[in-house]
Amino acid sequence: MNLETTVSKTLTARGQTFFWKRFKKQWPLHVFVGLGMVFLLIFAYTPMFGIIMAFKDYTIVTGIQGIFTSNWVGLKYFDEFVNDYRFIEIVRNTLALSFLKLIFTFPAPILFAILLNEVKNMAFKRLVQTVSYLPHFISWVVVVGIAFSFFSTDIGIVNNLMVKLGIIDKPLDILIGANYFWGLAVGSAVWKEMGWWTIIFLASIAGINPALYEAAQIDGAGRLSRILNITFPGIKGTIVVVLILAIGSIIGGGIGGSNFDQAYLLGNDINNSTSEIVQTYAFKVGLADGRFSYAAAIDLIQSVISVILIFSSNYIAKRVSGSSLF
Amino acid sequence: MNRNRMKKFFAVSLTLLMVLAMLAACSRGNTDGQNADAGDSANTSESSESTDTGAASANQGVEELTLFINHSWYPVKEFKGPIADKITEKTGVKLKVTVATDDKQLPLMIASGDLPDLIFTATDFDRLANSNISYPWNELIEKYAPDFEIDKTRIAINTMEDGNFYTIRNAFATTEEWEANKYALGNDGNPGIAVREDIMNELGNPPLKTLADFENILGMVKEKYPDMVPLIMDKNWLEQYFITQFGMEAGIGSWYENEGKVNYWLKHPKALDFFKFMNSLHRNGYILAENFAHANDQIDDEYAVGGKAFAHSHTVSIAERNNISAKQNGAAYTFKMIPTKLSDDAIKVSTGVGWSGSFITKKNKNPEKSIKLLQFLASDEGKKLTMFGVEGEHWTWNEEGYPNLKYSPADSDFINGNGIKWWFLYSDAIVEGLWGYVPGTQTTQALIETKEITTYKPELGMIQVRADSQERSIKTKIDEMVTNEKVKIYLAKSEEEAAQLFENMLKNADKIGLQKLEDWANQTYAEKKSLFN
Repeated sequence: MNLETTVSKTLTARGQTFFWKRFKKQWPLHVFVGLGMVFLLIFAYTPMFGIIMAFKDYTIVTGIQGIFTSNWVGLKYFDEFVNDYRFIEIVRNTLALSFLKLIFTFPAPILFAILLNEVKNMAFKRLVQTVSYLPHFISWVVVVGIAFSFFSTDIGIVNNLMVKLGIIDKPLDILIGANYFWGLAVGSAVWKEMGWWTIIFLASIAGINPALYEAAQIDGAGRLSRILNITFPGIKGTIVVVLILAIGSIIGGGIGGSNFDQAYLLGNDINNSTSEIVQTYAFKVGLADGRFSYAAAIDLIQSVISVILIFSSNYIAKRVSGSSLF
Repeated sequence: MNRNRMKKFFAVSLTLLMVLAMLAACSRGNTDGQNADAGDSANTSESSESTDTGAASANQGVEELTLFINHSWYPVKEFKGPIADKITEKTGVKLKVTVATDDKQLPLMIASGDLPDLIFTATDFDRLANSNISYPWNELIEKYAPDFEIDKTRIAINTMEDGNFYTIRNAFATTEEWEANKYALGNDGNPGIAVREDIMNELGNPPLKTLADFENILGMVKEKYPDMVPLIMDKNWLEQYFITQFGMEAGIGSWYENEGKVNYWLKHPKALDFFKFMNSLHRNGYILAENFAHANDQIDDEYAVGGKAFAHSHTVSIAERNNISAKQNGAAYTFKMIPTKLSDDAIKVSTGVGWSGSFITKKNKNPEKSIKLLQFLASDEGKKLTMFGVEGEHWTWNEEGYPNLKYSPADSDFINGNGIKWWFLYSDAIVEGLWGYVPGTQTTQALIETKEITTYKPELGMIQVRADSQERSIKTKIDEMVTNEKVKIYLAKSEEEAAQLFENMLKNADKIGLQKLEDWANQTYAEKKSLFN
C-alpha cells in the first residue's frame, strides 16, 4: 500500500515535471495557440450571447443592454417563422440551392485537380491553374456584373450568339427566369470557386509518393488505373476533410461561396420564387426592418441545422472511410 | 545553441508584436467609444469641444457637422457649390455628407449607436424620434432658438406620442397653402409618361385621349418598329401612372378612404382591372419582363435616350430630362409628355404629410448650431436659397408670385452641380412647387394637369405603422409579399391566370393578417383625423 502510494506520487511528480519541461520547451508555440484561442473567444464565442435575443422582445433603440433587459417571449419568433406563408418555399429554396451547390462544386475541384495533375506541360498547367483560381478573388457583385454582360437578353454575348447561330429563336431570360436561377447560381459558383479548391487537392496529390506511380507503371497500370488506385486513395483524407467542412457550412453556401451573396445579388422580383432563401428573407423582413429578434431566431434555426449536419457527416465519414475531422 | 536562441528571440518578438497590435486595435476601439459617449452627455461636452475648437479656429468659427442622407439615390454627395457656401456663410455650419449605400444602413447604425450629427431621412422616423437617440426640436428651440416659429399643423402631424417633435418633414403643405398659391404646383414626385415625338409624327399623330388610344399606339409601334421596346418604365415608376388612370385613390402599399372607412390599396374595387391591364401590356409585348428586374434606375434612361424605346414611364419631368440627355448624345429626336389624364376616372389623392426630415442626434457635436441651421433653412430666405439658388445669380422674383429661374429645373447636371434643391433639410411643398413653375414647359403643363385631378387628404398619410409594433411586421410582410406576387400577375400567361394570381395574393394578404391591420388603420384614422379639423 505504502509502496504503491510512493510509486504513484513519484510518477505524478515525474509526470508534472515532464509536463512543465515539455511546456517550457514549447512555450513560444503555446503563446501562438493561446492568441488564436483568445481571438476565437472574443470574436466567435462572446458574440454568441446575442443568441438570447431570439427568445426576447428586443428593440434596437434599447442598445446592447436591451438584449438583457428586454422581455422574455420564448419561442414566439420561431413560431412566427415556421408559420410564415412562404416558409416551405423558402426552406425548399435554401436546401435546393445548398445541396445542388454541394453536388456540383464539391467534385469539380477534385476532378479538375486530377486532370491538371495529368498535364505534363508545366507552362500550360501553371497557366490553367492561375486562370482558374483568379475568379475566387472577384467579389460576387462583380461576378453578377459579368453574368449580366454574358446572359442579358438584350446585350448578353451568350444569348446574342445563340440567337445568331439559330440555336434558339428568342433570347433566354437566364438572369430573370425563375427556372434558371438554381442553374445560374450553381454554374457561377463552380466557375468562381473551382480553381481555388483545386489548389488544396493538387497539394494533396503532390504529397503522394512518386515511387508508387513508378511501381504501378512497371506493373503495367494505365493512366486511369493509376488515378483510381493511387491518386484517389492518396487524397481520400483530404477529400473527407473538405467534404465535412463543406457539409458543415452547406446552408451558408459551403465551398461554393456565399448563398446569401448569390441569392441577394442574382435574385430579383421575377425569379423570387426560387431565389428567396432563408438568409435573404431574414435580411429583408428581419434585419432591414430592425427586427433583430426575428432575424436571430431564423438564423438560429439555420445554425442548428448546420451543427446537426456537421456532426452527422463527421460520424458517417468516420464509419465509412475511417477518416474524420474530430 | 546560438541558432536556437535566435529562433526564440524571433518568436518572442513576433509574439510581442502581435499582442501589441491586438491591444492597440482594442484601445482604438475604446477611445472611439469614449469620444462618442462624451458627445452624448451634455456635462462632458468639454472634451469634445476641445477638439472642435481646434477645427473651428482653423476654419474661422465654421463648425463641420456630419450628415447622413438616408436616400441611396441622392444625386448630391458633397456639400459644395454656391448654395452650400451661402448656407455656411449664413449659419457657420459646414456639412460632411455620407449618402446611404442602401436602406439597411440606417437601422444598423441606430442599433450600433454609431450615429452622425444629423440624419436626413424619410424612413425609420419612429426609431429616430426617441429621446435616447435624438434631441426633440421643441427642447432645442426653447433653449437656443426661441424665435424659430413653426405652424401648428406641421407640429401636430410631426408630434410623437411622447409629446415631442423630433423633426419636421419637408415637401408638405396644408390644403389652405395649396389653395393660396396657385403657382405652387407640386414636385417631381408625380408620375408621367413621355413618348417619342418623331415616331408619333411618323404614325400620323393618332388620337391620344384615352388609355385605349395609348394601348393602340403602343401596338402600332410594336408593329412598325419591331426592334423597339414600346414602353420602358423606371424601376421606381412602374405602375403609378396607370394606377391614377384607373381611379384608384391609393398607390402601392398605401391606404384609401371610402365613406369614412379606410382600406388597404389591394381592396380597391378597381384593383383587379388595373392588374389585368398591366398584364395585358406584357402579354401584348408592349413591356419587357426584364423591366421588373432592373438593378438600377439608369437602365430605362439608356433605353429611352439611346433610341431603343418609344414611351418612357417616369415622372412629370421625364420628357424634358430625356430631351436634354438626347441632345447631349447628339440624337435628333425629342420627347413629349402624354396627357396626365387619360380617363374620366383619373384621380390623384395627395395623402402627403411630408417626405423627408432632419434629425439632430444625441451624438451631435453642436445642437445649438444644428437647430439654428434648420431655423435658417426654414426661413423664407433659406427656403428660397436652397430651392431656387442664389438670388440674382440664379433667379429673380416675379411679381406674379413665382421665381423667374435663369436655368431649367429639368437640367439635372446644372442643378446637381450647383447643389440647388438638395439641401432642403427643412423646406415645404409650396416653395418646391413654385420652383417647378416655369411657364411654357412640359413639366409645368403636366403638373397643372396633375393639380386639376388632385384632392388632398393628409389625414390618410397619418396612418403610419410604428417601428417594432405588430402592425409594422404585418405590413412589412404584406408589402414584401405584394412586391413578389404583383410581378407574377403582370407576367401571367393569360388574363384568367392573372385573375387567379390576384385572388391568391388577396388570400395571402388575409393569411398574413390584413384584417387586423385594417382594423388598426381605421382606429388610427379616427384618432388622427381630428388633427386636421
